[in-house]
Amino acid sequence: MASILQAERLRLAYDDRVVIDNLSIDIPDGGFTIIVGPNACGKSTLLKALARTLRPAAGRVLLAGKPIDSFRSKHVARQLAMLPQSPISPEAITVRDLVGRGRYPHQTLLRQWSRADDAAVAGAMMATGVEDLADRPVGALSGGQRQRVWIAMVLAQQTGLLLLDEPTTFLDIAHQYDVLELCARLHQDGRTLVAVLHDLNQAARYATNLVAMSRGEIVAQGPPGDVLTAELVERVFGLRCRVLTDPEAGSPMIVPLASARRYDAGQR
Amino acid sequence: MTAPVASGSHHRPVVRVGDALSIPYSRRGVVVFAVLVLVIAAVAVITLTAGRLGIELPNLLPALLSDPGGKEGFVLGRLRGPRLAVAVATGATLGVAGTLFQTVTRNPLGSPDVIGLGAGAAAGAAAAGLLWPGVIPIPAGALLGASIAMAAVWLGTGRGFSSPSRFIIVGIGVSAMGYAFTQYVIARSGREQATVLASYLNGTLASRSWGDAAVIWAALAVLLPAALLLGRRLLLIEMGDETADALGGRSGRTRLLSIAVAVCLSAAAVSVAGPVAFVALTAPQIARRLGRMAGAGIVLSAATGALLLATADLLVQQAPFDVHLPVGILTAAVGGVYLGYLLIREWKKGTI
Repeated sequence: MASILQAERLRLAYDDRVVIDNLSIDIPDGGFTIIVGPNACGKSTLLKALARTLRPAAGRVLLAGKPIDSFRSKHVARQLAMLPQSPISPEAITVRDLVGRGRYPHQTLLRQWSRADDAAVAGAMMATGVEDLADRPVGALSGGQRQRVWIAMVLAQQTGLLLLDEPTTFLDIAHQYDVLELCARLHQDGRTLVAVLHDLNQAARYATNLVAMSRGEIVAQGPPGDVLTAELVERVFGLRCRVLTDPEAGSPMIVPLASARRYDAGQR
Repeated sequence: MTAPVASGSHHRPVVRVGDALSIPYSRRGVVVFAVLVLVIAAVAVITLTAGRLGIELPNLLPALLSDPGGKEGFVLGRLRGPRLAVAVATGATLGVAGTLFQTVTRNPLGSPDVIGLGAGAAAGAAAAGLLWPGVIPIPAGALLGASIAMAAVWLGTGRGFSSPSRFIIVGIGVSAMGYAFTQYVIARSGREQATVLASYLNGTLASRSWGDAAVIWAALAVLLPAALLLGRRLLLIEMGDETADALGGRSGRTRLLSIAVAVCLSAAAVSVAGPVAFVALTAPQIARRLGRMAGAGIVLSAATGALLLATADLLVQQAPFDVHLPVGILTAAVGGVYLGYLLIREWKKGTI
């Protein structure tokens, strides 16, 4: 079965600086794909290309088997939603209005706000638990609440595909897991998710398909249990570690090797 | 088909006609707009009735409805009527141009006054009027000058219009070059012409004709709907280009079209009134605070701009100055203070 979202021989560049060359990837339908890799490995760049917000210098992205730029942009936005790493909250906007902006691809000049729009916004706020904040200005929310509101905005798009660029950045640890649990729930509801994450253990716990990137190339991909090995972590991140089993989730978990100064030695 | 209804107490208010038409609106926005229109009407009445030459209030309505002769005909048809019509439409035009630019640059400083559009249009108008008189009409000269200024900004940023902060910084440079060119034209011209031009280049509404009013109202009639058509995509640009693109809002194209519309608006305003300063900068900011809402607020900005310019022009007509000041000097004095405030605020926020 062909996957809904594929990339073929992508070359991605900013001006003249080539970040990715000749990369192909299939996003499994119904999976939760998490892309990891060191800084500047091209993971966010790849996500932008998959969301067609960055135009490839060569190669192509296929949506349902056809080149993504052969569809009208609003049509794509009804199949695929993308939350960038740092979206801008307009001054003085309320939560309800911000979530409502996710409805744009479903609207036309004459039908600017249908009853389906009301239902979609209410549903998205319910799914992310921000319905009590509906009339609050986004600027007055905490970082964790604001991230939920942005996720509600992309959920209001009602797409089967959801792309998230580092959705946990700038959040404290409890809110990181809060957002990841929300993503896992959205995945269980039948959506296909693709996220870029920094934390390997979080990626291993939540991904069904882990993609490790290094220097613009995919080094390994597959179920975290197959992919996440000590050799891979050393090769990709340059970090020596052991891989244990996460006692809570049963997923692989890395523990960096200790230096000569062990904790107990340091206490004595 | 059902009658238009405003639905939903917990949802946003929407005007609906069956399933075919549904347009959301803001209750506060509607109230603010109605109040602005009333105040503009009041300013218009005062403009026509105040002072030694004013039409007496009881005679105003009959004079408007009939075709009066004598003093009332002169005041209404020649002295103040066309001037008022030009002031209202020019103010609205500048308000819309300002909100388009501030939205696509996501910065209040990204206004036609600051980034060289007004200066470019003025330089073009000066060249058309004095350097090559009779070769091209002044409105065409203003449009040409504004377009050249925007082309210079586009080239100068090195990446088109995609980087708002570069846009503003290069625009300030282009603005300075526009003024330098205008000064050059003045220096080359005869003293008499230069005096006329100097007043024009401050932005003035003195001795406007119905022909000027026709030009600016026609421009507004075409360009305001164009701006409104871009309005929903401008809302998406507020959230960043990447978010807008992901939602199908095509930010690059929206920005280019918006700038094209704003260039035409600014050129139309400059061609009838000269570069009236800071209305385009302040009107959208005031409208945004009055409406207390996010979004481009195109209609509210237009109404606010109209009120600002009509009020400023009333003040320069009735204030006890020795000379008849061009209205642009008043707007520059008031707007300059506001620009200073904005610069300090944006600097504190770290956006410049």
